[in-house]
Amino acid sequence: MSPLAEVQALFRQAVVTGEKSRLVPLLSGGRYPAKRLAIHQRHYETSLVTALLGKFPATTWLTGTRFVTEAATRFVHNRVPQAPCIAEYGREFPMFLSSCRGAVRVPYLYDFAELEWQVGQLAIAVDEPPIGLAQLSTIAADALPETILALQPGISYLQVSWPVDELMKLYLNDGAPEHFSMEPLDVWLELRGARGEFHINRLNRAEYLFRTSILARRSIGDAAERALDVDAAFEPGHAWAALINEGLVTSITR
Amino acid sequence: MKSIQHALDHAGIGLRLPHIAEVVATRPRTGFLEVHPENFLANPHAAEFLIELSRQYPISVHTVGISIGSTAGIDRSHLKRLRTLIEKIKPTLVSGHLAWSTYGNDYLNDLLPLPFNAESLCLVAAHVMEVQDFLGCPYLVENPSSYLGFLGSTMREAEFLSQLVEKTECKLLCDVSNAVVSARNMGYDEQEYIDSLPANAIAEFHLGGYTPQEDEANPGGELLIDSHAAPIADPAWELYAYAIRRFGLKPTLVEWDNNIPPLETLLAEATKADQIAIATEAHRVPTC
Repeated sequence: MSPLAEVQALFRQAVVTGEKSRLVPLLSGGRYPAKRLAIHQRHYETSLVTALLGKFPATTWLTGTRFVTEAATRFVHNRVPQAPCIAEYGREFPMFLSSCRGAVRVPYLYDFAELEWQVGQLAIAVDEPPIGLAQLSTIAADALPETILALQPGISYLQVSWPVDELMKLYLNDGAPEHFSMEPLDVWLELRGARGEFHINRLNRAEYLFRTSILARRSIGDAAERALDVDAAFEPGHAWAALINEGLVTSITR
Repeated sequence: MKSIQHALDHAGIGLRLPHIAEVVATRPRTGFLEVHPENFLANPHAAEFLIELSRQYPISVHTVGISIGSTAGIDRSHLKRLRTLIEKIKPTLVSGHLAWSTYGNDYLNDLLPLPFNAESLCLVAAHVMEVQDFLGCPYLVENPSSYLGFLGSTMREAEFLSQLVEKTECKLLCDVSNAVVSARNMGYDEQEYIDSLPANAIAEFHLGGYTPQEDEANPGGELLIDSHAAPIADPAWELYAYAIRRFGLKPTLVEWDNNIPPLETLLAEATKADQIAIATEAHRVPTC
């Protein structure tokens, strides 16, 4: 390893883990270079913790600033960013948070934090011109099952075990009812966002399976089969027409 | 593409996310808009606004993620994303820092210091040329704000930058506030530092606020932290005037990235930079 590479390895170790004993003898600056090194160590931690807190304000509201800050401080030393765009950092934080001591008292914490992460990512998306029903009507009926639809970039789907969408509405509306009870409940959510706004909609299980399959670029026929497996009354024709009428489809592939 | 002349007429301001909507709505008078592209590469909504603004304003792209001092090499995927953005907004200036921030796949979210010696000079020079070739445009290198040095350094920062210019023919971004911060923290004279820089290579100035902090190793003493979280201090304004007298007028950016104030406050700082520039240039005797 070259001398410069070794210095950078030691610096990385000092910043991420705090271990600086082999680096300090190589430094100069002031009476105690270790104190100067602390400026960089503090900046690494503070800047990333601040970034994480900024991405999870609802989760912070739910569990308290101290809990999230302590978790974020541990997270930034455990999960070093892997890219310079810090807007993309924090994908694993909901899972990490839910494994922290104290999280057991909030069994819906992962679901709520994951919901918050996803809507945050979707809100900065830009939607594309949607296609209309007229474009789909050019496809022969027997070719429809093999057709693949592309959905707007600002869409995702989330299956959760608690009604965290209700909790999120409380946060967004600044509401604090006298009594609010969270009971386990399977909920299938469609999240849509673009240009600073987002919407959270509930789907039934069949709709969820159909739409997630479409998002995964499965054919309409494949997606319909998955939905029909859980609900024999599911109507694929209405389902894909609804996608188009809602402006969610951007292109068709046959 | 807006010409460099626009960027010379008035100081520029950093375009930060809290101000975007207001800048789009009010189109304030400013010489240019500076962006950290990393704020826009993962934010299509903000990038849309940036592309629209680039049709009216000269843009300066100032990257924080291109780690020219890193032994891990340049992050090519990040460079590609940057090039795609540059092709859309056609910036007047593209720049980055004399620093490193990546190690292996890790991004350390800070501008970390380099020893100044032959090994780091060779590495940085190679990376500057790689970046310039890939982006297809000049890449200005900014002087760092320093809190510590290395016993393995064999030259001073100004000499390093001069040799870098000689090896690569790159241009320099003279961050006047960083020069004050580094000089005070490392114990040298900031005007001598300015005098040591290669005059013909200076292509842009930066000005930003710094924050005094107690020097824990020297009770009663003070360190300056390059916080970009405060108004520009008098020593930086004075050194700015000194730098103009030495290098002439250059596009000047007023930076304020943390504790971001109202847009009008930022614009007022830019106006002050304009006033100093005009007053200084009027009395400047060109130096050879």
